[in-house]
Amino acid sequence: MSDFENSIRRHARYALGQEWSELSLNERFRAVALAVRNRLIDGRIATEQRDQRAGAKRLYYLSIEFLIGQSLANNLVNLGMREECRAALRNLGCELEELEAVEPDAALGNGGLGRLAACYLDSLATLGMPGFGYGINYEYGLFKQEIDDGYQREKPENWLAESSPWQMERPEEACAVPVYGRVERSVDRHGGYNPMWLGWRLLIGVPHDMLIPGYGGRTVNYLRLYSARSSHDFDMGIFNDGDYFKAVQQKIASETISMVLYPSDAVVAGHELRLLQEYFLVACTLRDIIRRFEQNHADFRDFSQHVAIQMNDTHPSLAVAELMRILVDEKNIDWEEAWETTLATLAFTNHTILPEALEKWPVPLLEHVLPRHLEIIYEINRRLLEKVEPARAPRVSLIEESSPQQVRMANLAVVGSHSINGVARLHTELLKTVLFPDFYHLWPGRFNNKTNGVTPRRWLLEANPELSQLISSTIGEEWVTALDRLRGLEKHADDSAFQAEFRRIKRANKERLARVIGETSRVAADPDSLFDVQAKRIHAYKRQLLNVMHIVHEYLSLLDGRTPAVARTYVLAGKAAPGYWLAKQIIKLIHDVGRVINGDGRAQKWMKVAFIPDYRVSLAEKIIPAADLSEQISTAGTEASGTGNMKMAMNGALTLGTLDGANIEIREEVGAENMFTFGLDTAEVQALRRGGYHPREFYEGDARVKRVADALGSNLFGASEWIHGILFDEQDPFVVLADLAAYLDAQDRVSQAFEDPAQWSRKAILNVARMGKFSSDRAVREYARDIWNIDPA
Amino acid sequence: MDIPVKIADGIAIAAIPVDELDAGNADEFKRDIGPVLQAHSKIIFDLTRLTFIDSSGLGAMLSSLRQLSARGGDLKLCGMSKQVRDLFELVRMHRIFDIYAACQEAVKAFQAK
Repeated sequence: MSDFENSIRRHARYALGQEWSELSLNERFRAVALAVRNRLIDGRIATEQRDQRAGAKRLYYLSIEFLIGQSLANNLVNLGMREECRAALRNLGCELEELEAVEPDAALGNGGLGRLAACYLDSLATLGMPGFGYGINYEYGLFKQEIDDGYQREKPENWLAESSPWQMERPEEACAVPVYGRVERSVDRHGGYNPMWLGWRLLIGVPHDMLIPGYGGRTVNYLRLYSARSSHDFDMGIFNDGDYFKAVQQKIASETISMVLYPSDAVVAGHELRLLQEYFLVACTLRDIIRRFEQNHADFRDFSQHVAIQMNDTHPSLAVAELMRILVDEKNIDWEEAWETTLATLAFTNHTILPEALEKWPVPLLEHVLPRHLEIIYEINRRLLEKVEPARAPRVSLIEESSPQQVRMANLAVVGSHSINGVARLHTELLKTVLFPDFYHLWPGRFNNKTNGVTPRRWLLEANPELSQLISSTIGEEWVTALDRLRGLEKHADDSAFQAEFRRIKRANKERLARVIGETSRVAADPDSLFDVQAKRIHAYKRQLLNVMHIVHEYLSLLDGRTPAVARTYVLAGKAAPGYWLAKQIIKLIHDVGRVINGDGRAQKWMKVAFIPDYRVSLAEKIIPAADLSEQISTAGTEASGTGNMKMAMNGALTLGTLDGANIEIREEVGAENMFTFGLDTAEVQALRRGGYHPREFYEGDARVKRVADALGSNLFGASEWIHGILFDEQDPFVVLADLAAYLDAQDRVSQAFEDPAQWSRKAILNVARMGKFSSDRAVREYARDIWNIDPA
Repeated sequence: MDIPVKIADGIAIAAIPVDELDAGNADEFKRDIGPVLQAHSKIIFDLTRLTFIDSSGLGAMLSSLRQLSARGGDLKLCGMSKQVRDLFELVRMHRIFDIYAACQEAVKAFQAK
């Protein structure tokens, strides 16, 4: 019996209280996870000792979301013990894949921003860098999506119902977080001004650590997630007064703060609970950072030499005010010196240029929840406005003079950070020219680009084991941590034997996905058809509607007797924010169109439409390796970067995309001839909007566009009268009709290309070969070099 | 609340007799410390036993300090745990109170004046 098998048996008996043979599948998963966790703990202790010896500067990555997904397979891959585990389980009469399948996804995020954070943690650990994630331990992650008669229904996803075997609670490192109350202006014992924070309510943040192994297992970092607890089981004051239920309610209200992930990546400002969540994350994290700093250092002038903090979007931007509060109020440091330290420590990543997604908090709400912080924000603003030209002041001010006044969190983050980065080259340019031109004028040196990346461990090695095996047997294994090495595949792009194996693997992945589609969507997908995939959040700017219009166009053409060049399976997946009416209508439309087409015998051979419910990380790992065509069709200038585009190309899908986000850089890397681009670029979209967008001109100007729009306005696919309201809206910010004709043309080029398997395979192989730039290892190295100034310990 | 008070050199050392001073007992504390505040002008609160204090508890201490200050007296604190000290710092109370690690130091500070 191997040591590992022994360890599994021990956990079955002593952690779960039963013999292995008596355990359910879920319990077996837990026993194995606990056995793996032991290895992680050993690695974590060794890593911490190494970091301490080196006196390493530490990076703290603050994010309101971490979309981790499942951990078992990833941890086994990174620790290099997958085969050891498989063998142990076989001895125990169990298959590894069975256990991997029952692990619930840690869905602590909505989409790109949260998944990016998870990829960066993987890269930090793989690169041996002391970088740690800090977030909230939501009891309910992103909702579970079910489909009922084509409509999205949201079900709560209590991923912590049975507690996660990966998490370790650290009650001894819990911290106190005051909220609410008032500021009383008084003088201290020496006659100095001393604003005191009185009448607050206390929350307790209890950390839960998830260990993050780098590839090879040499470094194990952590992701620290905070749960909110009441400072007392009950408020005994209320309890003593006899109001038992009020006392219980207060306890529950405190714990609500880490209860639910906000299920939207759009605007939630105005929700007091969300503000509390954001402050709770910031306050717990900074307290932990200060505690760790003070273990080895006394002089806060050295703080930024030992600590770097990255704010992942504006949600943690209260860190600017909180760090100032700690330095000035608690550590008695002069304002100017505290400000220098804050600026040198904090950095900010922006993730969107959609103006409606920029957070603002009403001043009265902020004053109610965080009275001392509002004072600090006012003081930061006063000093800022003293230095800027009066004409710029209204735009750079941290306070928007609306009614009520609002605190602009993006401005706070920009003003308080030494680095402001966008997540793709185009996006960064738009930050400089559209979103923050005044700040760029003030501090051009603070702005920089860090194009996103994804971890090849999860998204290629783990998700696509057969392709990984083919790559490794062809060019060696170094690509796993040096993705540029994939270039070595270029010379095999025309090799017919290599192509045949590449196609066999893609087909096997498609067969696997076809089974998933059959089980979840009751659609019989043909693995020989072109798998045309759009999997991402449902949002108007991502233009799933454009995709549907192409599907309708193909269907109408087929009814007219035009045989399609290739059979296609249209695969769509993604969640709509529960309050986002239009996105939910689009899901319904996809189902309505699918019902008609899938039920029409004439289309049987050529078209299938499948919407796979409950898109999440573990499902993405099955969809992405099976994609032939990657739909990245957002309106130019709206998608900050995208990362699904990278994951699909890395797995040998060809991209059909606009010149938006990272699509532009993908095209530069893979070559324009190996990608299908179409539509207006950002400047053209801006010009169209400036000059007046007249969708009817596009409708009248192309017979195909007119026919599709007419069909969608009819009852052919059920009631969908709302569509014309969108399509013909001259204010449509996403100019759907303007790009439709070009999109249909591009789809024709796709079909023609797919008819030639050798040429298609060549392009697909070259896509894989040229994706080195889009490794999160490259992105993290750039952050470490340009922003964090950290090195492998 | 029975608050033990030791008197030496005209300095009253009151040992806070609870682990937690919060909304549940802050009023009781205020009531029972009242006579001590009336009877002495140099007072030390020994917080050695205290592991938790909330805003009501801090409010009770602040009120004690203000009562004494109004009469020209002073209040010093000693024996604070790390958790309690952190909270004082968090809300800038550490600048209002004269705080010492050990009670003997607080006594010496009074004596030095």
